[in-house]
Amino acid sequence: MTEKNIIQLQGVEKRFGNFTAVSDLNLDLREGEFFSLLGPSGCGKTTALRMIAGFQEPSAGKVFIDGEDMEGIPANSRPTNMVFQSYAIFPHLNVGNNVAYGLRNRGIAKSEIDQRVTEALEMVELGGLQERGATELSGGQRQRVALARALVMRPKVLLLDEPLSALDKKLREQMQFEMRHLQQELGITFVMVTHDQYEAMTMSDRIGVMFDGRLVQVDEPPTLYAKPCNRNIASFIGEMNFLPAHVTEENGKGLTVTTPCFGILDIEKNPNVAQTGRDIEIGIRPEQLEISREKPEDYDGTVQGKVRDVAFYGENVHYHVQVDGVEKPIAASVPNYFHTVDHRPGDPIWLGVQSTSIIDLGQNTIKS
Amino acid sequence: MRSEATKGLTLSAPATLYVGFLVAAPLAILVAYSLWTQTYVSVDRTPTLANYREAFTDPLVRHLMIRSILIAATVTIATVALAYPIAYFIALRAERKTLWLLLITIPFWSSYLLRVFAWKLILGFNGVMNSALLGLGLIDEPLTFLLYNEFAVVLTLAHAWAPFAILPIYVSIQKIDLSLLEAATDLGNGPVQRFLRVTLPLTIPGIIAACLIIFIPTVGDYVTPSLVGGSDGKMIANLIQVQFGAANNWPLGATLSLLAMMSVGFVAILFVLSSTSLGRRIR
Repeated sequence: MTEKNIIQLQGVEKRFGNFTAVSDLNLDLREGEFFSLLGPSGCGKTTALRMIAGFQEPSAGKVFIDGEDMEGIPANSRPTNMVFQSYAIFPHLNVGNNVAYGLRNRGIAKSEIDQRVTEALEMVELGGLQERGATELSGGQRQRVALARALVMRPKVLLLDEPLSALDKKLREQMQFEMRHLQQELGITFVMVTHDQYEAMTMSDRIGVMFDGRLVQVDEPPTLYAKPCNRNIASFIGEMNFLPAHVTEENGKGLTVTTPCFGILDIEKNPNVAQTGRDIEIGIRPEQLEISREKPEDYDGTVQGKVRDVAFYGENVHYHVQVDGVEKPIAASVPNYFHTVDHRPGDPIWLGVQSTSIIDLGQNTIKS
Repeated sequence: MRSEATKGLTLSAPATLYVGFLVAAPLAILVAYSLWTQTYVSVDRTPTLANYREAFTDPLVRHLMIRSILIAATVTIATVALAYPIAYFIALRAERKTLWLLLITIPFWSSYLLRVFAWKLILGFNGVMNSALLGLGLIDEPLTFLLYNEFAVVLTLAHAWAPFAILPIYVSIQKIDLSLLEAATDLGNGPVQRFLRVTLPLTIPGIIAACLIIFIPTVGDYVTPSLVGGSDGKMIANLIQVQFGAANNWPLGATLSLLAMMSVGFVAILFVLSSTSLGRRIR
C-alpha cells in the first residue's frame, strides 16, 4: 500500500427523482488497499460503486481515478473493472473466451491473449478449464471466472459488487481468504461493496460504513469494532448491549458516567463521536462481560440478574440476562471452552464489566 | 390408485388424438394420393412415381417453387430486420411494455383477408398511395409498379407477419440479464460492439424462431399472391390450389404439396444449422 490516492470522491451525490441515493460522499482510497463499503441494503453503497465504474453519472460532485477527472468518461474507457453480483458470465462463451473477452477489445496479439488467459485462470485455480462451457460451472467457479475476467485486464481498481453473496457459507469463507491473498499478491486496489459485516472485517484494510446514502465512518476493522461513532454502526457491526448513561464529570480524555445497573464508572471518551452531551449512550460487547454464579471480583462494575434465555452457537454461548433498571435483557457471550452450558434460564447470575471495555456512543438519541 | 404411466397417457391422449387425426392421417392420405394417378373421372390406385417425374421435369413447377422460396426468404429477412429494432426498443427502452405489445397485436383484431384487401386499396391504381402522391404533386400519373407483383406480395406478407417476428425476438431480448450488457461495457465494448458480441448471439434463438414462424407458412401462402400478386406474383401454393380445383388433378396436387413441404423443411434445417454455428463463432 502506498500513500497515493487512487480514487478520490469529492462531494459526490446521486439523486433519482426525489430520492437521494448518495449524498455528499467524500472519500480517498489509497493505492493497493482493500476497501469495503459496508451498509444495509438500500444505503447507497452499490450506487457509489457504480459511479466509480461509470455506470451512473453523479448528480453532483467529482470522481477522480488516478488523479484524472472521470466526468464524461464512459464505463468502457475507465481503468476499472468490475465483478458483478450475478457474476455476469457470458452464457454463450466458454471459460477461456469469457476471460479473453476484454482483451479482444484491445487489439492484443492472439498468442499474448492466450498466455494471459492461461495465467489468469491459473491465478484463480481454474487452470486448464478454458474449454468448459459457461453453463457448466458451479457457483464458486463462476465467481472465479468473473474474478479472472476482470483481473486479466490489469485494472487500476477492481470493483466488487457483493462478490460472495451468491455462495454458500463454507465456500464464502474460503473465498474471503483467497481473494485477500490475491489482492495482496497483485497489489491492485480492491473496492468491495457488501452488507456482510464479517466479510468486510475479514477482508478489508479499511471499511467505510454507509447509512441512508451517507458515509458515516471510515476506519480499520478493529477501530470500527472498538470505537464505532454512533449507535447505528455499533449495532450493525457485531453485537452490542446499549445502555443509557449520565455524564457527571468530563475531563480531557475521560468521562465519569452513572449507569442504570453498573454504578458509577470512569470511561474513555470516544474520539469518533460527533454529538455528545450530558445524557449519552454506552455500549458493551457481549464478549466483554464476565458472567458467574458468585459476584465477580476485580471488576469495575457488577450487577446481579437472572438468566432469561440461553442461545447455544457452538463456538460460544449467549446468555440473555434480565437486570433490574434495564428494560432489555443484557447479552453476555461466553466461549465454549469445556462444551458445557453452565447456566439455565431462571438461574440467578452476576455480570461484571471493566470500564475500559465500555464504549462511549455519544448523545442518547433514543430517549432521555 | 392409477399408475404414473396411465396418468401420463391420459394427459397426453387429447393431444395424441388431435395430432393423429388432424396431422398424421391427412399426411398419410397425401402420401397415398401422390403415388396414384388421375384418369378422366376416377383415380387409378396403382402405385407409381409418375407424378414426381412430372413435377421434377416441369419448368413451371421449378420456377414457382424457387420464386416461392425467394419471396418467403425476402419476407422473412425484411420482417425480422424491421421487427428486431422494435422488439429491442420494447424490451430494453420502453416504459410501458404491455401497452406496446398490445398495440403491436392490433392488426390481428381484423381478419387476414381484410388486411390483404386493405393493401389492395392502398397500393391500387386509384388507391390511397397513388391519390396521395398525385395530390402532393410528386407524380404526374399513377404508379403501376405498386400492385400485382412480387413487391406487393412481400409488403403485404411482411405487414401481416410482423407481430410473429416481434414477439419471439422480444422474449429473447427480455431474457438477457442486463448485467451481461454492463459487463461487456465494463470490459471495454462500445454500444455497437456490445450488441454484436453479446446481445445478438444471445438472441439468435429468438431470431431463428421468428424466421421459421414466418418462412414456413409464407412459402405456402396462396391468398396474398392471388389477391395482390398478379401474374408475376404467383407462388407454388396457387399451382397446388389449381390442381385440387380447376385442373382436378389431386394426385399431382398432393405430390406438389409434399415436395413443397420437403423443400421448406430442407431450407429451414439448413438455416437453423448455419445460424447456430455462426452464433457459436462469435466470441
